[in-house]
Amino acid sequence: MLTPLSSKSWDYAKAAHLLNRAGFGGPPAEIEKLADLGPERAVAHLLDYEKISDPTPNPDWAKPNPEEIRKFREAIRNGTPEEKKQAQREEQQTIQRRMLELRGWWLQRMVRGTRPFQEKMVLFWHGHFATSMEKVRNPYYMWRQNELFRRLATGSWEQLLIDAGKDPAMLIWLDQAQSKKDHPNENFAREVMELFALGEGHYTEHDIGEAARALTGWSLDFQTQNFVYRPLIHDNGDKTIFGQIGNFDGDDFIKLIVAHPQAPKFITAKIWNFFAGQVPSPELNEQLAAVFRANGNNFKPFLRELFRSEIFYSEGIIRNQVKSPVQWLVGSVRMLECELPPTLVSWGMLRQLGQDLFAPPNVKGWDGGVTWITTNTLLTRYNDAQALVEGTLPALSAGDFAKKGTVGGGGERAMKALQRIRMGGVKVEKILTPEQRADKATIVAALEHRLFQTRLSSDQEQTLREFLDAKTKMSDADIATTVRLMMSTPEYQVT
Amino acid sequence: MKNEITLQTRREFLRRTVLGSSLAWTVPAFLANTFSALQAEAADSAIQTATGRDANILVVLQMAGGNDGINTVVPFANDFYHKARPTIGLKAAEVLKLNDAVGLHGAMKGFKSLYDVGQLSVIQGVGYPNPNRSHFRSTEIWQTASDSDRVEKNGWIGRYFDNACSGGDPAVGVTIGSQLPQAFFATKPKGIVFNNPQNYRFMANGAATEESYKKLNELEMSAPQPDDNSGGSIGMLPAGMPMTGGRAVDFISRTALDAQHSSDEVRAIAARVQNRAEYPASQLGGSLKMVAKLIGGGLPTRIYYVSQGGYDTHTNQLGSQQRLLGDLADSVKAFTDDLKAQGNMGRVLVMTFSEFGRRVSENANGGTDHGAAAPMFVIGEKVKAGLLGQYPSLAPQDLYQGDVKYNVDFRSVYAGVLENWLKTKSAPILGRQFAPLTVV
Repeated sequence: MLTPLSSKSWDYAKAAHLLNRAGFGGPPAEIEKLADLGPERAVAHLLDYEKISDPTPNPDWAKPNPEEIRKFREAIRNGTPEEKKQAQREEQQTIQRRMLELRGWWLQRMVRGTRPFQEKMVLFWHGHFATSMEKVRNPYYMWRQNELFRRLATGSWEQLLIDAGKDPAMLIWLDQAQSKKDHPNENFAREVMELFALGEGHYTEHDIGEAARALTGWSLDFQTQNFVYRPLIHDNGDKTIFGQIGNFDGDDFIKLIVAHPQAPKFITAKIWNFFAGQVPSPELNEQLAAVFRANGNNFKPFLRELFRSEIFYSEGIIRNQVKSPVQWLVGSVRMLECELPPTLVSWGMLRQLGQDLFAPPNVKGWDGGVTWITTNTLLTRYNDAQALVEGTLPALSAGDFAKKGTVGGGGERAMKALQRIRMGGVKVEKILTPEQRADKATIVAALEHRLFQTRLSSDQEQTLREFLDAKTKMSDADIATTVRLMMSTPEYQVT
Repeated sequence: MKNEITLQTRREFLRRTVLGSSLAWTVPAFLANTFSALQAEAADSAIQTATGRDANILVVLQMAGGNDGINTVVPFANDFYHKARPTIGLKAAEVLKLNDAVGLHGAMKGFKSLYDVGQLSVIQGVGYPNPNRSHFRSTEIWQTASDSDRVEKNGWIGRYFDNACSGGDPAVGVTIGSQLPQAFFATKPKGIVFNNPQNYRFMANGAATEESYKKLNELEMSAPQPDDNSGGSIGMLPAGMPMTGGRAVDFISRTALDAQHSSDEVRAIAARVQNRAEYPASQLGGSLKMVAKLIGGGLPTRIYYVSQGGYDTHTNQLGSQQRLLGDLADSVKAFTDDLKAQGNMGRVLVMTFSEFGRRVSENANGGTDHGAAAPMFVIGEKVKAGLLGQYPSLAPQDLYQGDVKYNVDFRSVYAGVLENWLKTKSAPILGRQFAPLTVV
């Protein structure tokens, strides 16, 4: 049991902290609403999202389409060289178009969706089960995995691990679809223990080999585009996993993992790190794991305690997490009450900043934390702030859209499309009342309240006031530039 | 704490050195005088920095994904090799022979030509005890130079900066890319990172905006640097494992300062210096092209870091490895040609590494799975050219879990490079004394 935060200490800054971490932040009105609810009801408001309807329609191609695949394969097999080329080009373009749509679909869910906490969890699971489009090469599978994370976002760990393992994108990503009893592929067996559920040092190389045998038979039916169990390629012999002997199959192996004493410690530490921005101390980790286990390895009750706990609101945690690029972009749009840039631009920005959704760098996911910040990505954040606020096109080049030999491609086409894009920018009347706008000191104070939920240093405030001093009119453009300047600070990069 | 570099002196250092030209626009003259006084103080203590203007330079080239060393330096005359690799084994006619037993992959003509003029050393069978077959863990081991059962936070290059370049210019390390590799993680993080020099700057809609940006990112440095004894600063922590001491914003403030001061210099060099060789139009080619410019432009960098990905060849390895190794050899060859034309080749050493080699036996998908030891390449005018170390035995009874055994510890290679090339003691950097392999 974690010590809960007392209702008395609940205020605007703490409500903002909750909304920033359990969601993607929001404008002052939204924060004030949570502040009025008190900690318990504020947490429930975010966590009990099942009560809120989710009207977002799915992309129209988000369903199995074996006929499309059959046609493509037919053209590749029997077509003339010209037809073959044509089919490949079309497939490539379809993939690029749908992936772009999918990215926009998900980002809009984060920005405008009715269930920000659920989307934050989907983002966590995407980074956790880091599966890349670059290998899966199928937008339907990528969407389907994303939906799986949404459906099981805060449910049972065992069910999530089993379903994620049987998910088509994962079967391709970690080669499980190709594993047979005479040549078991160890990739999924290894990563599920190392990266998804236990961490290094809690299993042996021998366990990996045995687990790979247990997992044989888990496969993908390309006709139905569904998981299939193939008994003929399953190894029916006895296996020894974590010292236990039996004719285990894939489900048995996952159950053994979840029952492993390390399992609750591993996943709760990772969740704490994601939401609190720090590695938990061994004592705290023990406590977190105990709460998780006491709740039958279910996430929802565990997360409720986490967000209610006093320690989650302690000084070393508030405003001490580096914003991920997604947090930076989605959070900025929400705080500034502006439009998300067109998907092509949003995607280009996220790629430049190091978080290409649906294309994590490897199965370990994004390293996160301070590794988001380099001299390069920091300047890019400052410049993307200009694009977002002033409505200019960010500096993107073909290379930002194309990776050689991958499906990221289409760099030149993207650049052409970019020329037609008009950016929105910030509407000053949405972020400042006429009274706030009357004076440079109130302008700076109101924007601080909105963007930082705290104050900058007096030197920085002075710099901003001086900037406005030199502007006789304090026009919309001058105020937009002030916002951009505030976002071009080290302080804006943390939450 | 007598050799501590305060943020103040760090800022002063930035103004004074490479990036010194920025002094004029950042501070009024009376402040500059104050800084000069500070600088004089600092000069007596820790700021005795090696700069790269005339010193030796190391270029670290990461082959990410685990390169199949056995099909890179090919034991074409070995029966065990052909038995283990009936479909992807390379025949004698397909390799560039180095002697009667081994040859380079046929795509590596660029490397063969360097070998023939005595500028390539091939270190065979490089690895470490108790090899780990996880990409991430094994990469971490190579980046931190740790034992395989010990988790280190800082990188070996970071420790080199901490030990040998204290107080140095941030541009002492340059990574072409968007992420800082763990090898650079240090107690006092250093190094600049960028991809495209054109966009490596603050874009402002007017002089007043730019002026304000500089102030906002310069003045707010009052937060104390994390104390080294309090559990370390942020930059030393491993990826994704944020700080135990110090606040995130301190780390970002330091990075902001480095970004501000290095961006002008990098862009000026990129615009001024011309390449004098034709590079492949690949990501690696582009990165080495940029490094050649920066070397030609006189950036005081000791270590450059570039990488090439895609070596995780579990399926249909032949085509992808052909493309990757061809790109590698052609890019590095162009780089050496460029440096020779500049007259800088004599002070540049290129060292490649990959997190592991691959299994001796091919798998059922025309590829190979994660393995252990593999060769490293070192390129330069002063290298000990030829084949170093011994080719590991491929005889089944000599393998460990299907992998070749290493006979050169990679830290001996690091030790050789540190001591003989970067001219510094290796033991404080590598944790203990490894017998330095004579690579130069």
